[in-house]
Amino acid sequence: MNNSLLIVLIASGVAYGTPLLYAALGELLAERSGVLNLGVEGMMLVGAVMGFWTVQRLHTTTAVALAVAIGVAALAGAVMASIHAFLVITLRASQIVSGLALTIFAGVYGLSSYLGNNLNLADQPASHTFSAFFPSSMQKWPIVGPIVFGQNVLVYVSWACVALISLYLSRTRPGLNLRAVGESPAAADTMGINVTAYRYAHTIVGGAFAGIGGATVTLAITPQWVDGITYGAGWIAIALVIFAFWRPELCLVGAYFFGALEALAPQLQARNIRLGPTVLWTSSLPYVMTILVLVVVSSGTARRRLGAPSALGVAYVREER
Amino acid sequence: MRVTVERRLKQPRWLSVAVPVASVVFALLVAALVLVATGHNPLTTYHQLVYAAFLQTGSLGQTLISATPLAFTGLAAAAAFRMKLFNIGAEGQMYMGAITGAAAGLYLGGRGGPSAFVIASMVVAGCAGGVVWALIPGILRAFFKTNEILTSLLLNYVAGYVLTYLIFESESYWRQTKGFNATVFPTGKPLPHNAIWPGWTIHAQGGIAVPLGAGFALLAAVVLWLLYSRTRFGFEARVLGDSDRAARYAGVRVRRKILAVMALSGAIAGLGGASQVGDFSHALDGDPNGLQKQGFGYSGIVVAALARYNPFAVVLVAFLIGGLQNAGNTLQGATFPAGLVGVIQGIILFSALGGELLVRHRIRIGRRATGAAATSPEPAA
Amino acid sequence: MSAAAETAVSMVGITKRFPGVVANDRVDFEATVGEVHALLGENGAGKTTLSHVLTGLYRADEGRISLYGRPVAFAAPREAIDAGVCMVHQQFRLVERFTVAENLVLGDRRGAGRSFRIDPSAVESQVRDLGERYRLPVDPHARIWQLSVGEQQRVEILNALYQDAKVLILDEPTSVLTPDEAATLFETLRQMAAEGRTVIFISHKLHEVMAVSDRVTVLRAGRLVGTVRTADATPQSLASLMVGRDIETRRRTRGPQSGSADVLKVENLWADGDRGTPALKGVSFTVREGEVVAVAGVAGNGQRELAEAITGLRPCTKGTIRVGDELLDHADPRASFDAGVGYVPEDRLGTGVAPNLPISMNLELRSFRNNSFGPLLRLRRMRASAQDAIDRFEIKTSGTQMQTAQLSGGNLQKVVIAREFSSGKLTVLVAASPTRGLDVAAVETVHSYLLDAAESGTAVLLLSEDLDEILALNDRILVMYEGRLSEVGNRESIEEIGLRMAGGAPGSAPLSGS
Repeated sequence: MNNSLLIVLIASGVAYGTPLLYAALGELLAERSGVLNLGVEGMMLVGAVMGFWTVQRLHTTTAVALAVAIGVAALAGAVMASIHAFLVITLRASQIVSGLALTIFAGVYGLSSYLGNNLNLADQPASHTFSAFFPSSMQKWPIVGPIVFGQNVLVYVSWACVALISLYLSRTRPGLNLRAVGESPAAADTMGINVTAYRYAHTIVGGAFAGIGGATVTLAITPQWVDGITYGAGWIAIALVIFAFWRPELCLVGAYFFGALEALAPQLQARNIRLGPTVLWTSSLPYVMTILVLVVVSSGTARRRLGAPSALGVAYVREER
Repeated sequence: MRVTVERRLKQPRWLSVAVPVASVVFALLVAALVLVATGHNPLTTYHQLVYAAFLQTGSLGQTLISATPLAFTGLAAAAAFRMKLFNIGAEGQMYMGAITGAAAGLYLGGRGGPSAFVIASMVVAGCAGGVVWALIPGILRAFFKTNEILTSLLLNYVAGYVLTYLIFESESYWRQTKGFNATVFPTGKPLPHNAIWPGWTIHAQGGIAVPLGAGFALLAAVVLWLLYSRTRFGFEARVLGDSDRAARYAGVRVRRKILAVMALSGAIAGLGGASQVGDFSHALDGDPNGLQKQGFGYSGIVVAALARYNPFAVVLVAFLIGGLQNAGNTLQGATFPAGLVGVIQGIILFSALGGELLVRHRIRIGRRATGAAATSPEPAA
Repeated sequence: MSAAAETAVSMVGITKRFPGVVANDRVDFEATVGEVHALLGENGAGKTTLSHVLTGLYRADEGRISLYGRPVAFAAPREAIDAGVCMVHQQFRLVERFTVAENLVLGDRRGAGRSFRIDPSAVESQVRDLGERYRLPVDPHARIWQLSVGEQQRVEILNALYQDAKVLILDEPTSVLTPDEAATLFETLRQMAAEGRTVIFISHKLHEVMAVSDRVTVLRAGRLVGTVRTADATPQSLASLMVGRDIETRRRTRGPQSGSADVLKVENLWADGDRGTPALKGVSFTVREGEVVAVAGVAGNGQRELAEAITGLRPCTKGTIRVGDELLDHADPRASFDAGVGYVPEDRLGTGVAPNLPISMNLELRSFRNNSFGPLLRLRRMRASAQDAIDRFEIKTSGTQMQTAQLSGGNLQKVVIAREFSSGKLTVLVAASPTRGLDVAAVETVHSYLLDAAESGTAVLLLSEDLDEILALNDRILVMYEGRLSEVGNRESIEEIGLRMAGGAPGSAPLSGS
């Protein structure tokens, strides 16, 4: 039963969805502070390449190498995000164009490709990869075996992140301040909250999360580096935040849903199930689904008052002293 | 020491040119740092760049090959971005235009007939392909208020899969099925002779081939400029791009405008796709490492932003960035790593964005002295 | 108020400059413990600037401030709040999506407020207590966007009280209240003063200042004119201090010509607001040629929706609008324009103009279609008529291509008016809060344009929250309350107007359907 299509899809959905989840959580934090960062794809790719590079270069135990690699990936993503943060927060540039610039700069035509090729990272397997955390005996348990216990530690950490971020937003003072900054920076400023600091901090942390998401791909899912290995996952992550109404718990659901869609193609092929023509449909499916979900969500949201932080995308200019 | 930023009352013309130029210079400096950090000599790299882009024999012709699609995607981006419609889908719209343009060329060219007619229909078909693909996010935005950035962008990936499918994964109309290599390596069916776009040759540098597409791009720039500055359509578009409430008050039919501008943008990108087929590849290029690796759609955004959305500046900047792209292709290898082009383009765009602040605002550094003129907004009484 | 009251706030020699204007010029101000002190002046006199200096939003270029005898220099509003100086602004500093309780927690910095974990429910009982004590009842669970403007103001005041503000500054608080609510507010202020707090009350309305304050400081054009005890002053003496000359009394003296036709006929109009619920509920009225009909009412009762319906920006679910013989049966600004309807909207920079475009384009915003040659624009003609409008209306600008948002408030309004007036004869002019935020000279200019329009036969519909404006410029007064209109019987009676603004209806039958 554990080999049935459904179980495998869900288990793979969790695995494939984890990079999406990390990236979406990061973007959620940034957007909650009012900063739209469209550079997620670029940040993920840089995280992916730098994480992979670290693992290839470090000659220590697997655990240490992987931990350091994740740290490096997070740092790489954070550095990328700080460029965007500086441009849009301090220099008040257009958040949309700056995010696009970040994607071009860091993405598949830019820095990540440059680093990957320059450092000769192609065509080699990763020296260390994340493997299943729990013993194989537990993985054989019906249903929960593969889905819950068959995952690597990055998946479990992501669950913790979802819980922590959720608590952060709803029950802590900094979380309340963050929400105020994203909704009404003028009010927050009057209350003495440092809008600039909150925006910088959350945008940069968002970048770190995206970097980790990218590293998840090269170190856990496809333990290899290829140019543009995320294939647009960054964009799906951005859509995911909208789809999840800016709530961490819903990000998890959405990420696994899209992860399952991604897992669909190889699974169908492996079982020789032909549900229609080809790779074209299954490859396009995640993107088309994202568009459909966006349409549904956007038309309803306008009326429903749940939704985007009100100050999202708008630079905050404090009244003059 | 107090640094204050205040809005300029008037934006001097020279600044609109100086800032983009300064951005490029700054970008090159920063890129030089990246090069040094990764063990390359920036001076030789830049020299190679310029040589390969503009000076080497045949380089200008090569540059035009890169510049032409960039002019199209740059104009497509400029047309839409000016109205705050962020059409990121020029990449996919270009693919679609290539598909429809190639179809027209293959079908009508195959039936014989005057070249001019075939090419004209390729132009129309290419535009149509781009229009249809652009109208998807356009309709979603106009009628369902769905953000066009994500929808147009996600469709790029879908368009890429369609393109690959037509050549690599099916026996489609576009695929070359005859000949020895057909089953070994999938390629597109070559266009018949009367569907190939001619060019002009400038006798310099060993003969510079100016493709027909370049001429179309120039024409498109002129049309776009006229449209936005001299027509009612342009007037309404500019108002809508500035304030949708004022636009509604002015009687602008917002939905129609959104559709029209997206269609215009898509048409230009689609024409660029047809040009790719008619001018350069002479067949539909479905190779994932071919047209899809060039990233013309995304570079077009860089071009448009640097040109500050002015159609004529777009053409000029497209030429320069085209040189960069050409050099990147020519030099690709150990001494000139892939991805450097994107890095430089990204930095240029960053500096252009940062420089934008200088155009609109003035930075004052002064002491917090009494009587020192302070800052911007009108005080409420 | 005791005789030897301790000085709470002392501001000496305050000067604050902005590019092109000196907002405060060596102003002295002082308020004592336990008093309600009014800061009086026209729009543009410098009252808000002075209070922003006190609360740390602005830094004075010259001068000293002390609080209870100790010198202070606030670098940010937060420091002022921590020192006990709180301001209730004209534009509220509340987070709309939060509940009342969450907003209070947000600003809380003392004691329990310092904790990392928050619990908004702990605040609830305090909100209810304070609300009862000070007559500011508000539901702590309600989200700010669900509250009326008056209730939101209560939250702002509660916020200040929750922080135990010793000095409370209110900026034009009654502009969003009915006369009855204003009276309740005054009682609350007196109560606070009696407790030993200091209340500074900014206003340009004489009768309010007379009603609530102990002392009045008058500012004019950035300078201190004087400080008097309210008991020693009269509305006339204050007025002359405030304006320095005779007040504009250009009141409407001539009504429309007898026998003039009904030009604007609105019948049983129903329309939905932005949230999908009806904002107009069966509104019916007419305006004759050359008549000025003024509609009073607190903001948020449907005035904006009414203006938008008539000018074609909002569809109606039921009812009809007729301009002359034209039936405007669907929401189309172009049709309204063709029928001769002009609009001076409330939000100048929103609906009124496209802020980043040049003045010449904004002046042609409605008429560019007529000034074109097929699909092509006649640019030279456009520029010429723009220059003509600038000259005729004396708009202060550096040229026809100047970016519109750079204009001052008064000049911006002139652009809007110039545009509406230049498009040929206006059959109807809808003016919504046309003089909000403008200085004295600009207000007079706008009023004279409105009256000139009426003289030349235009039917003028004036919607305003400023009772003084309503009283000065009307042939008839209507009052809007919760989407329904009623007509005022006695136009001189502020009591009746106030009553209708709060939903009462003495005697005369309302004009709207049920």
